[in-house]
Amino acid sequence: MNKVELAYFGLCSLIALLGAVVTVGAKNPIRGAMGLLSTIIGIAGLYLMLAAEFLAAIQLLVYAGAVVILFLFVIMLLGPSAQSKRDARGAVARYVGAAALLVSGLGAMALVMRTKSVTPTALPAVPPQFGTIESIGHELFSTALVPFELSGALLLVAVIGAVAVARGKQVDPTLLPAADAKSSQTSAPTAGQTKEARS
Amino acid sequence: MSTYVPLFLLFIVAAVLAGALFTISTVLGPKNPTPEKMIPYECGSETTGGRFVKPSVKFYLTAILFVVFDIEAVLIYPWTVEFKNLGWIGLATMGSFILMLVVALLYVWKKGALEWEK
Amino acid sequence: MNSGLFLGLSPLLVVSLGGLLLMVAEAFSKRRVDETSDDRDAGPSSELSLGTAVTLLAGAVFAAAIWFVGPEKLEGASSVAPWVIVDRFTLFFSFVLCLGGALAALLAGGYLPEHRLDRGEFYPLIIFSTVGAMILASAGDLLSLFLGLETMSLGVYAMVGFRRASLRSTEAAVKYFLLGSFAAALLLYGGALLYGATGHTDLAGIREAIANMQPGKGSNFALVITAAVLIIVGLAFKVSAVPFHMWTPDAYEGAPTPTTTYMAVAVKCAAFATMLRVLIGAFGEGGLESWAAGWPPVVALLAVLTMTVANLVAGQQESVKRMLAYSSIAHAGYVLVGVVATMRAGGDAQGSVMFYLLTYTVSTVGAFGALILMGSRGAEAVSYEDLAGVGKRHPAAGFAFSLFLLSLAGVPPTAGFFGKLYIVKASIGAGLYPLAIILLLNSVISAYYYLRVMVYMYMREPAPGAPIAKPMRSGYVATALVVAGVLVLVLGLWPTTSLQIAVEAALATR
Repeated sequence: MNKVELAYFGLCSLIALLGAVVTVGAKNPIRGAMGLLSTIIGIAGLYLMLAAEFLAAIQLLVYAGAVVILFLFVIMLLGPSAQSKRDARGAVARYVGAAALLVSGLGAMALVMRTKSVTPTALPAVPPQFGTIESIGHELFSTALVPFELSGALLLVAVIGAVAVARGKQVDPTLLPAADAKSSQTSAPTAGQTKEARS
Repeated sequence: MSTYVPLFLLFIVAAVLAGALFTISTVLGPKNPTPEKMIPYECGSETTGGRFVKPSVKFYLTAILFVVFDIEAVLIYPWTVEFKNLGWIGLATMGSFILMLVVALLYVWKKGALEWEK
Repeated sequence: MNSGLFLGLSPLLVVSLGGLLLMVAEAFSKRRVDETSDDRDAGPSSELSLGTAVTLLAGAVFAAAIWFVGPEKLEGASSVAPWVIVDRFTLFFSFVLCLGGALAALLAGGYLPEHRLDRGEFYPLIIFSTVGAMILASAGDLLSLFLGLETMSLGVYAMVGFRRASLRSTEAAVKYFLLGSFAAALLLYGGALLYGATGHTDLAGIREAIANMQPGKGSNFALVITAAVLIIVGLAFKVSAVPFHMWTPDAYEGAPTPTTTYMAVAVKCAAFATMLRVLIGAFGEGGLESWAAGWPPVVALLAVLTMTVANLVAGQQESVKRMLAYSSIAHAGYVLVGVVATMRAGGDAQGSVMFYLLTYTVSTVGAFGALILMGSRGAEAVSYEDLAGVGKRHPAAGFAFSLFLLSLAGVPPTAGFFGKLYIVKASIGAGLYPLAIILLLNSVISAYYYLRVMVYMYMREPAPGAPIAKPMRSGYVATALVVAGVLVLVLGLWPTTSLQIAVEAALATR
């Protein structure tokens, strides 16, 4: 990695990581979605650095273009209730969990750094045509036939799942407060179930 | 990588320009707010109701179907470029892939998920 | 492109094609009910349930047929390796998964119309989730493994949230979706690190690279260990091992019961199949399999925690469905004991794990199916009180429920007894005495809450004025219960043949 590449890598990673922090931390969900957009753009930049040009373009088209819009859409669908409230329940457990995750992540990183393997593995050098549409097409339809067909099955399930979840009857808003309180209890009284089923 | 340098320059120029225009107009523009100017504008009449109108879940269904078929199109693109070199196996692979998605399309169609009034 | 390839993949192809045909048939069928209708036979379930069960059973039959032909004779089938490996291990799990899926589809055929959920999307979801599960069990590469996992999970997320009108179902779906995606992300991260460390995504290549690695300075061993931890945690989420089980009770309780059955059976079996493939196939060498520096102590800790916590909490539940959810967590703990034993006791231990998963599948389908049978429209049987006196009023239903509970508790001569026996034998054979003792102690605890259901069914009368449970009438549910009941008894009375089959299947991965 020369200095220009390093600077580029640093810039893209910074954009991606800052976006991720905003996504998780933002109180306003729209800002969160914008943070996600920045993460996606940063990652597209990293793909470009890895010579995966087609993938970078797709990342921008599909994720930045379609998926983020879908996210924004769901946020609009949820409306003002999507704004997260301060939730004091289990705050201690959350902080302990976050700290444990941070410590174990740093520990793993220290372990990896200490063994000094800067280039992880002697992967073969990238051929000049790597990352173009032609080479992806060739790879996808010769060696990776099976995963390609599997992705077709995955998309099929996504379609059926969307139809199953988005059609059907919606939650009756008049039931909301009572059922809301109940849903966190451990046992379900039969009467409550009946009421829900009839609504 | 180096072929993308002009593109990055364009990005940088666009970002700087957009930022600069906003900054300049905030700094230089006259500010004289009155209560009338601060209310949301609605054709001169008084605003009524809440700020938020809940859109129908049908938008969501349409949007997610769009994303799914968008990804399908993306996967077909490399195939078209390599079509001649792939031969019959490539055609058969894409055929079965398309078959799955045709069934998916038929399914959402007949289920009425593409219809608005239902 | 030859017949061997198509024959080798036939369980997958048959189920997928059947699923596509059913989708078309359902889309063009005129059978629709609105949710206020009282006619239980007018909806799509009356046709699709049977069609789905037949499709999945056809997949099971093809898997069995290839078993008898011998998968190693199908030369063309190796051309799809390592994406999809056609061996006896794959066939065994394909059979179990198809069986579990088919029984769950039959249960849905009774449950959905009874509780005004009769929408046809449920059945394609079961079929294609099972396709994903079969791919998961047969994947020899991290890429196809992930695709299988996602295909399976996406279908199940939608099935959990199927009861849109119920907040509880929606809450369950959101919880399961968030934690499930989190687990998948961990798995993916682990896979990416593994690729960086070894340069391979196929499990055999990873195993070889790890075996050639020298621990110490300048090697990627630390990266491999980090990756292994991430992958084990991801899989532990999927099999709902403590402390990664938090989503399970809520998701299992909130989901429609046929979905719960499917999650407890097929999703869990597929996750364990992957666990065996990855732990033995990829992490089986280079010190990772050793007790001192490998995964066995980690998995052993998970097993002890899972068994103990789940059994202690299950006893405190007032909802039978939630109790069964904790019971399924506890059973995951017993299986994990067997997984630890595989590293020292080899193929026999792995065979006992796989035999256990088979017995667990039939017993669990039966227990949830009996719970479905106990409820009827507007009065789903949920709590112990709901079941009071059912055994006397409806002896057949009571007998069926008792049989499956006894099998889950591990009482001879049911299938569950031999499942546990072989796991204990394997762990003793591997010298894991503490684990075997903890497992036995936990079985004793578990008997309390299984027998408690029977006490309510036979020795209590419903409180005056309380709603009395009326079992539903459904040929599909009854059929599923009869099939599961026969299998529980057959596996309990003649366990050795199926154990041998399981051991033979296990040897294919070693």
